[in-house]
Amino acid sequence: MRAALTRPQRGQSPAVTRTRPDRRQLVRWVVTAVLVLFALFGLPQLISLYYVDTMTQVAVYSMVTLALGVLVGRVGLVSLGQVAVLAIGAWVAARLLFATTQPYPLILLEAGLLTLVAGVLIGLPALRLRGLYLALITLMFAGAITVVLATVNFPNGGTGFLGYNGSLLHIPPIRRPSIASGDPAYYRYSVIVAIIMFALVFVHIKTKPGRAWAAIRRSEPAALAAGINTTLYKLWAFALASFITGVAGGVLAGAVHYLYSIDFPTQDSITLLAVTLMGGVYSLWGAVVAALLYQFLPALLNNWGVSADWLIILFGVGVLQVLTTSPAGLADQFPKDMARLGRALRGRFLRGRFRPPPAAPAAPPAAGSTS
Amino acid sequence: MPPWSDFEPFIVSGLALGGVYALSGVGLVVLYRATGVLYLAFGAVGAMGALIAWSLGQVGAPGWVTWLVCIAVAALITLGYGVLFGPALAKRDPLVKAVATIGLTLVLYGAMDLLWTTSGGEARSLSLPTDNGGFSIGQIQVDWTQVIALGAGIVITAGTGAFLRYTKLGTAMRAMANDREITATLGVPVRRVEAAAWLGCGVLAGIAGLLLADLVALDATTLTFLVISSLAAVLVARLRSITLTFAAAIVVGLLHDLLTPITSLTNYRDMTPFVIAAIGLLVLSRRRVMTQSREEA
Repeated sequence: MRAALTRPQRGQSPAVTRTRPDRRQLVRWVVTAVLVLFALFGLPQLISLYYVDTMTQVAVYSMVTLALGVLVGRVGLVSLGQVAVLAIGAWVAARLLFATTQPYPLILLEAGLLTLVAGVLIGLPALRLRGLYLALITLMFAGAITVVLATVNFPNGGTGFLGYNGSLLHIPPIRRPSIASGDPAYYRYSVIVAIIMFALVFVHIKTKPGRAWAAIRRSEPAALAAGINTTLYKLWAFALASFITGVAGGVLAGAVHYLYSIDFPTQDSITLLAVTLMGGVYSLWGAVVAALLYQFLPALLNNWGVSADWLIILFGVGVLQVLTTSPAGLADQFPKDMARLGRALRGRFLRGRFRPPPAAPAAPPAAGSTS
Repeated sequence: MPPWSDFEPFIVSGLALGGVYALSGVGLVVLYRATGVLYLAFGAVGAMGALIAWSLGQVGAPGWVTWLVCIAVAALITLGYGVLFGPALAKRDPLVKAVATIGLTLVLYGAMDLLWTTSGGEARSLSLPTDNGGFSIGQIQVDWTQVIALGAGIVITAGTGAFLRYTKLGTAMRAMANDREITATLGVPVRRVEAAAWLGCGVLAGIAGLLLADLVALDATTLTFLVISSLAAVLVARLRSITLTFAAAIVVGLLHDLLTPITSLTNYRDMTPFVIAAIGLLVLSRRRVMTQSREEA
């Protein structure tokens, strides 16, 4: 009965942590920089072309999970239709790439902006709903978009507004930027685009929108009472997520060369939410972990000849585990577990000489708390 | 516009589909009101039951055994989930509870795809003996399965309404829909009532799985995601009224099938539930209440 009288603990929200430039932070920046440099220059030298393609997909989907992570973790809006948004971005980019000779970065920007417009048009009425209803209406929109895409098809170099010609015999591939036509080069290109998107989100989180989102996530009525324009900032989050997902769609179009509507089924939006929650929605690293789960693990299992269905089962178990025991996901849990393991090992071997520090009180924020 | 006679058979099939959506929707609403969980795995457990029933049929089990097994499997999985995860998530936001059932959906979906693989192009079908008999109204052929589907929708909607109104257990469920904690302090065995709601919902999921496997297709993906059509009806009813759920479900089923003969719209007929849900939600959510204590859309 005690729990009935006190509200569940929400913990400190990620956006309002102190920004003290201490050594820990410095280490974190250095590690990030080293990892980024390794991802850009070291990794493509070490792995086969199969895994270069896989890592390109990881870069693309890290943007998608990043966008979804912003919605779920920062604002507390759950979207079950992110794959449909990705499909819109890919469609727009493919249409523009076939129709024009504009440089690729410009196309990506346009794809992002047009997806943003679409996202806002859907979001404007949908954001009047909250919580569960919002999640379900995004599922409905995603289903509707999937049905439309199945009929309209992706552009394949045909003419007209839709750019689809069903009787085309030689379908031209969707072009890539001239500086990145090879697979390793395109991989680096994708990573750089992803880094820009992560930086965009980082800036948002550290500034006014991030603080507004944190307030909205903890309590929308309280945020409203504090003078925050909740509709504006929720719409802003929706727009940002749509923009990033649209750009990711543009990168995806070049990565795969050919797009088909069956590659964007509604159930993928659900799997995507599962991996995003598993990766961790309160940390930007969570998006990378989620993308690795979503794209790298299937490629690895495929290489080993194991059915990807095991992975779906794993994701299902992962969602249940994240929601019941560790709301901050793998990005938060894994380092803690490692630290705990380290302490346990040290305690075992250096007994008497070393005293383990008391474990930090865990007060994880509740996922998607918009009550 | 095609002639009216083209539409006639689709009225019957649409009503049958609407009946199954209605009984699914009623199960979802009752469970949501009693436990606060929107059970997104409803379609997946039904599909699991139907596939197990199909496998039993392949090894020669009699029909009625396979149907009972289908319903029992769906009921037991649902009850098991409710007993295991219901209490752990009881104090959380309805959104979190709904997302957790996505976890169950993925587990079941992965398992079904693994055990009854579809990549080989193997087509399965589950047909009830009631498919063969029937009668005709004018030019329209009606088979008994369709009658059962619509009848089950009507009977279960009416029966659930009476159950919630007149029985002790139903009253307890309605009380819990209002406030779980106060109901508990009044001496209602909350967990037991919740377990009853889970079991009932699971039984309905099994029946829906069996009927849909016959009426639509026996395919893990199709059956798992057909729950979205019932969700649309549930959303229009704002997860409250079972009468409204029934009406919306019939509209969804009927409209979906009636669009089939219209050439320009036939490709878009699968959008019906989404469009109805979107319109329903957006129109009905105009009165917006913001409360601190409880989730109100």
